[in-house]
Amino acid sequence: MTTDYAVRCMTAAAHILPPPPTPSSDIGKLLLDVAPVSPRLTIDAAADLFLKPEYARMLCLPIAGDDGRPLGTLSRHTLNGIFLRRFGREIFGPRSVTHAMNASPLSVDLGAGLEQAAADITAKLGSPITEDFIVVDQGRYVGMGIVLDLISALQQRVDQSSRELGEAYRQLQASQAQLVQSEKMASLGQMVAGVAHEINTPLGYVRNNVDMIRGVFGQLGEVLEAHEQLGQLLTDEGADEQVLSQQMFQCNALTTELRDSKLLEDATALFDDTLFGVDTIKELVVNLRNFTRLDQARLGDVSLNDCLDQTLTIANNVLKGRVAVIRRYGEIPRIRCSPSQINQVLLNMMTNAAQAIEHDEGKLLLKTEAEGAWVRVHIQDNGKGMPQEVVAKIFDPFFTTKPVGQGTGLGLSISYQIVQAHGGRIDVVSEAGRGTKFVISLPVEAAATMGSP
Amino acid sequence: MNQKPTLLLIDDEERILRSLAMLFRGNYILHTTTDPQQALDIVEREPVHVIVSDQRMPIMRGAELLRRVKEKSPNTMRLLLTGYSELEAVVASVNEGEIFRFINKPWDAAELRSTVQQAAEISRSLMSAGPVAPPQPLFTDTGSFVAPAFVQPEETLLVIDDDAEVMKAVQEIVGPSMSVLWARTLDQAMEALERHEISLIVSELVVNRESVTPLLKLLKAQHPEVVTIVLTPFQDVTVFIGLINQGQVFRLLPKPVRRGPLGMSIGSALRHHRALRAAPKLRAAYQVEKIREPEEASTTVATRVLGLLSRIRGRAATT
Repeated sequence: MTTDYAVRCMTAAAHILPPPPTPSSDIGKLLLDVAPVSPRLTIDAAADLFLKPEYARMLCLPIAGDDGRPLGTLSRHTLNGIFLRRFGREIFGPRSVTHAMNASPLSVDLGAGLEQAAADITAKLGSPITEDFIVVDQGRYVGMGIVLDLISALQQRVDQSSRELGEAYRQLQASQAQLVQSEKMASLGQMVAGVAHEINTPLGYVRNNVDMIRGVFGQLGEVLEAHEQLGQLLTDEGADEQVLSQQMFQCNALTTELRDSKLLEDATALFDDTLFGVDTIKELVVNLRNFTRLDQARLGDVSLNDCLDQTLTIANNVLKGRVAVIRRYGEIPRIRCSPSQINQVLLNMMTNAAQAIEHDEGKLLLKTEAEGAWVRVHIQDNGKGMPQEVVAKIFDPFFTTKPVGQGTGLGLSISYQIVQAHGGRIDVVSEAGRGTKFVISLPVEAAATMGSP
Repeated sequence: MNQKPTLLLIDDEERILRSLAMLFRGNYILHTTTDPQQALDIVEREPVHVIVSDQRMPIMRGAELLRRVKEKSPNTMRLLLTGYSELEAVVASVNEGEIFRFINKPWDAAELRSTVQQAAEISRSLMSAGPVAPPQPLFTDTGSFVAPAFVQPEETLLVIDDDAEVMKAVQEIVGPSMSVLWARTLDQAMEALERHEISLIVSELVVNRESVTPLLKLLKAQHPEVVTIVLTPFQDVTVFIGLINQGQVFRLLPKPVRRGPLGMSIGSALRHHRALRAAPKLRAAYQVEKIREPEEASTTVATRVLGLLSRIRGRAATT
């Protein structure tokens, strides 16, 4: 690649060129294998070198001493300045390049990082760009680099980084969606356990009652049959009197047996309980459907009072008998929101409240109010409360005070996101030993950002 | 005519109580309550043959109530009725409540009636047998196992587990007071049962990829005096309920092995075994539910176990 001419001119420096740098380094990849010129080279000769096609891209020539240490650079720009002067070439041409060189050239260490090198060079770079940069390794010249190459390499690096960042962001989003899903599954599991219990209890007595009533029906059938036979005997003129009296006795016995079992007189109560049980199950199923709203559009105009009531039926199994629920619902306008998401938030708060109450006099206050463009839900318990350092962290993902396996540490963090996505906010006040109050504020007019959290 | 047995029903849902009361009316002296404390008062006041309790109740869980009932009146047969079987409840009902049956809501009326009737008969016979002499305690206040002063040579403990840790732990706990056999496979377990008279079993649920569950169930059906402790990392509610109702397993302990609880369990199991041997009537109290075909009995394991049982039946009859 090096021309004979150049070889002749540069023999002084050529033999001490270090081995080619490892191309793995960032700067190494930009390196141009250009031999430096000797400080003894004349300006004339240097100017001729610039005419060679090999140097077409170069803005300047590197000058290095016999020991390989870079001394400076001589740029086309400087030569211009010399040659454009009257008799410039004649006067300065024969002098050595050291007379015209830039003794503090742009210089980059071979091992420097791309970003660092770019930062160093752009700091020193003048305008217009008149120079290339020298690459040194352990103080010795190893080659030249072009500023524009460096900048475009940096540009590529930035592009790649932003691609990587984008990819990392997508992965993060995916894993977050997965976490949100696993939290949903965890609360779903909890809900299923509760609902199964809630349904199996009425199902227990409904089934038992129906079973017993079936027995009563069997008995009733026997009585009916006996009476029918009695009727036939009574209308039959030729009936034997003894058979008739036997039949009457049997009718009597069967009736007495049925009456003694009291099942018939209790049947009304059995039916009432059965209907009540079936209605309870129906209500549970309706609430379960309202709770998730899977069969409806994602968004709906709903009253938070209804949301609270639906959630209460679902949370009933953690509250029932242990926690007195006080409902103070105000007159509040319907708001446009995603009911299943809001219910998820409410269930999370109610479950937390129930878990925080460790005594027998538990109270849960549910209060709603409208204030200007906002609707507020207060959920307050008289449980064990939280110290301030815990309150500060409750919305952090994975923060939990529950034993391993009982909480994902995501419930409140997801609740926070849901409310935020609805353009609302959650405030919390808590005192250790006294209880906790959450206030959820939601705008009456839905926020534009609302959607999937 | 014999007085009717006493049945105590407790549930926080009054409609359940009303429904059950009608189911049992006429055949029992009935008490119903929604209050666990009241249930305990009744048990204290008069002999109660059978108690059927809900699991999820405010104030006190069913398993806890049954544990207290057992303390006050060990001859009262205890049944747990539950709407949703949580693992915790199932394990507690065995380990603390030593319950007779675990029944899921909704129940089958005829089945429940016959289970309660069976329980009442057992309780009656236990009560008429009079109190069993209190056995010597086998563990100290701190809960560690103390070897009995005299060795009863016929008492043998069988460990069914392919984990050497368990065998080692059991050996260290019982010391020289009992002979301990180790079976690492189902075949070895059956061989041990054929050759030796086993008092206690400490068993895993799966050894060498074969389920031990059918063996434990069938063995208990034939030999109620053999007391079983299950030591397993598995947490399958359905399997556990089967082990209670069809295997009358004495304790369900989690793995990894913790020597304290295992020592206490072996101590109680041994006392329990001695009581069962001393009072054959008591064995009735640990009668198991008939195993439903074809789920278990049709398996090859079960066939092998049944063969084993018929071979050792003759010997068992003589004890």
